[in-house]
Amino acid sequence: MRSYVPGLNRHTLIIALLFISGSFICCPLVRAQEKEFTPATENAALLASLLNQYQLQYKDDLNQLPSGNRKDYTEIYDERWKSIQGKFDKQEIYTATDAQDYLDKLVNVIVKGNAELFRRPFHCYFSRSYIPNASYMGEGIILFNMGLFERLTDESQAAFILCHEISHYLLRHQEKSIDKYVTSINSPEMQAQLRKIKGSEYHRREQLQDLVKGLTFDSRRHSRDHESEADSMAVELMRHTAFALTGATSTLALLDSVDEDRTDAEGCLQRTFNAGEYPFRKKWLARDEGLLGGHAHLKSEGQVGLADSLKTHPDCELRIKLIAPLVGVAGAGGAGGSPVGRGDGSPAAVRAGRAFVVDPVKFRELQERCRYEVIEYAFVSDEYTESLWLALELLQQRPADGYAVAQVGRVLNGLYRAQKGHTLGKVVDLPAPYYPENYNSLLQFVQNLYLVDLASISYYFLKARYPELNQYGAFRKALEEAARNKMEQD
Amino acid sequence: MTISKRFFRRALAAMLALSLPAASLLAQTKLSIDKVYTAYLRNSGTIMAKGQIKGYFFLYMSDKIDRHTDEYTLQILDENLNKVQSIKFEDTKKLSLLESAYNGNSISFLFKNEDTKTLDMKIYDFNGKLIYTYSRGFDKKTDDLMKQYETLHTDEGTNKNVFDIGDQGYVSVLPLREGKQRTYEMDYYASDNRKQWTYVPNDDAEKYAMAEYLGSTDSLIILEVLKKNKTLGNDFSSHLVGVNFITHKKQFEIDGTNDQYNLVPSSILPMDSGRLMLFASYYDKDQNIVKDFSRGLAIYEITTSGKVLTKTYNTWAGDFARYLPTNSKGKIDDIGYLYIHKLIRTPDNRLFVVGEGYKRQANAAGIAVNTLSILAGGGTTTMGNTKIVITNLVMMEFNPRYKVTNATIFDKTKNTALASSAADYGSQHALALYLKMMGAFDYAFTTGDADNSNFAVCYSDYERSSEYHGQTFNAIRYNGKKFTTDKIELKSKASMMRIFPAKAGSIMIMEYFRKDKRLDFRLEKLG
Repeated sequence: MRSYVPGLNRHTLIIALLFISGSFICCPLVRAQEKEFTPATENAALLASLLNQYQLQYKDDLNQLPSGNRKDYTEIYDERWKSIQGKFDKQEIYTATDAQDYLDKLVNVIVKGNAELFRRPFHCYFSRSYIPNASYMGEGIILFNMGLFERLTDESQAAFILCHEISHYLLRHQEKSIDKYVTSINSPEMQAQLRKIKGSEYHRREQLQDLVKGLTFDSRRHSRDHESEADSMAVELMRHTAFALTGATSTLALLDSVDEDRTDAEGCLQRTFNAGEYPFRKKWLARDEGLLGGHAHLKSEGQVGLADSLKTHPDCELRIKLIAPLVGVAGAGGAGGSPVGRGDGSPAAVRAGRAFVVDPVKFRELQERCRYEVIEYAFVSDEYTESLWLALELLQQRPADGYAVAQVGRVLNGLYRAQKGHTLGKVVDLPAPYYPENYNSLLQFVQNLYLVDLASISYYFLKARYPELNQYGAFRKALEEAARNKMEQD
Repeated sequence: MTISKRFFRRALAAMLALSLPAASLLAQTKLSIDKVYTAYLRNSGTIMAKGQIKGYFFLYMSDKIDRHTDEYTLQILDENLNKVQSIKFEDTKKLSLLESAYNGNSISFLFKNEDTKTLDMKIYDFNGKLIYTYSRGFDKKTDDLMKQYETLHTDEGTNKNVFDIGDQGYVSVLPLREGKQRTYEMDYYASDNRKQWTYVPNDDAEKYAMAEYLGSTDSLIILEVLKKNKTLGNDFSSHLVGVNFITHKKQFEIDGTNDQYNLVPSSILPMDSGRLMLFASYYDKDQNIVKDFSRGLAIYEITTSGKVLTKTYNTWAGDFARYLPTNSKGKIDDIGYLYIHKLIRTPDNRLFVVGEGYKRQANAAGIAVNTLSILAGGGTTTMGNTKIVITNLVMMEFNPRYKVTNATIFDKTKNTALASSAADYGSQHALALYLKMMGAFDYAFTTGDADNSNFAVCYSDYERSSEYHGQTFNAIRYNGKKFTTDKIELKSKASMMRIFPAKAGSIMIMEYFRKDKRLDFRLEKLG
């Protein structure tokens, strides 16, 4: 293998050549650069301080666990704490002050309208995860994933999501589930069944599977009940704010389609990575459609009825159906968002509510920022294929976006480094039957590339955009690295 | 303490972990029922298709049904380690899974049933439904022979006995003992209809034959067969046998009878023209194919009816000596003799041959010990006066006319393969066969694209440099134009690291972290 010739002279020469050729071919003047996206710097000190504070709270909660079956409780709460700790350790919590201020304002609207919330303090944070979801983690912590926030239409939807998670917290769903589990496994009936199974010589697995199935169905049914409860309570919490209740049903409708596979991966890859000097090759998309190739179409487990019984959440359609009457009761009437009085037995007053209550401009600005932050976080948390996928999706809509261009190059360079260092398996997903087809196509594309392909694709992709983006620091850095990688392979 | 909390906790741990995540707006996890019971792994292995790893199988004993019957779970993973199928069945407790193959529309598993003394070939469709079962009996002598059976033509991790033959089915080649006589049996199992037949040679007067599968076409199964031959003074003769699996008849048998040389085939490759390309070591008529070293490599083009169309010879002493410092007996300076591991044909009709050197050296420690022992009146010990050392890898290149055009030596640390008294005896060639069967060579396997446009030759080594001291896994990668090298140092943060063959162009890295009690697997591309 030819060794890389280091030194500024060689790649400075290359950059100079690029500048000259690009200027000559494209345009005589370099276009003035608009400000490109810059990822927020995470406040490590703040995260450490918050984690410390929550840990004290967690230890305090441990002391208040029931004395019976304490060891079981401790084990489960310990696992839950580790999950929370992981979010902080991996810097998944978004610490940008203005974003946090905005989120706090949204929460304050909800708290002010619902007096009981004053007595039950909780905290909401943005998570930099691309997954379109939100979650109550325990210890009063609610995470609102940026991957969901960026897809919302208005603040009333954000309010419903917050209210749903607050409801889980208020109704102690998690704690109740833990309670139920620990009580179940330690119950005399369960112990007797276990004794019987253990004493059997034959068919132990079958008996245990039946026992577990029963427990699982029960647990999942409770989980679905909890979700329906949280939906209903969320509507009630919203009713005492100025947010439009229709935000509840429109959010569930949005969630129903949030996993749709929309981007045509193969078309996108062929268009994006088809440089004149290094044309796209069909073999980069080659794949095995059989059972063992990673792209098999597998039948879902059991019959539909059985699959439904194993779900932790009801279908969104059913959820909409269940809360529609609650939303519809307040579906008409005056504007202004006056909260409905409580406790007087009178029917709930009808009100329209508002789509935006806090700051529509900030809402849109944050949505825009979320779009980029999730790409960045996927990369820094070693999910290179996800970062590439999101960046390519962005690039399809915004072909001139400097961050998207630079990020694509950055990921390809990262894949090159990882493959060279035999750590590619740690940063990429492998094609699997359970991934959406288009994402699987991207994964297969990455699997089909050799080092020379990664280096060349990145280099020529970035080089073509040099005239427009040469002023952007992240772009130049990516191009320089791509040029070095290409020289290694030549 | 309530009973079996550990039992139950282990059994339900997965259920809890998956049903009690952060209460979230959308479901993100699903139940995996497999995790809830303790499983006893019986067998595991690779699923092969056309000589490439396509997936993996794990056979568990998952339940006891009665005194004689167990329930088994056969988990099938695809080439990316995703679980794609889980098959449950009941059978005798004395069951083991030997090998598995895949032909694009079904998967076959060859089981050994110690209860019924049968070898059972089960063929499943992609939904896990059993479509055909075929059985054949075996006796103890055959079983003993099967256990000793080693092949000379397979890489690490690949099948020895079961092979796919396109979308029509599978073939197994197994040794057979009939009294004092040894022979072989070839079984054909259809996967597109219920058809099975067996071929046992009946034209072998000596009834002493060993067969190995070399390859197949759309109608032929081709074997290399070694037979003992009284006319050769009980020496072995080598034969290329083609059996037509449509007519169930032997279509051809090529031996040295009408040839100026004796051939020992090592590889057969179907060509686009419908012909077959045969690679072999070749010997003079008066040479012993087991004991003597070959004259060189021969490449024949033959028709599917066994007619030889062209013959090309490359001698060690003449053709290879232009590129390697070789003496008249085929020994290369500093490398010794070459054992041929693999032949690879690329889409542009170039041929590459992977060889590894081995040589006999004086064993100073053995000499000293034996001398002392003799002086003490005790005779020689088990330590040999000579030892066999594995030397470097050699990559040879042939043009489309089958003449050698280049040879490149890839240095590696020499390692002693055999230092016992066995090293003092036996021919170089016989020793090489022994070394191959014992897995003493550093060559591991070759992996790459199905058409060999890219391939990597993999081997292990031990490095002693200032930067690193320890085991390494190495690859010589060909990208269609040139060779590059790649290396993985096996000392890492993990307590233990091992490399296994995986899907085409990749390896599987297993890392064990003792402190965390964690075993990590991942796939990595080579080059």
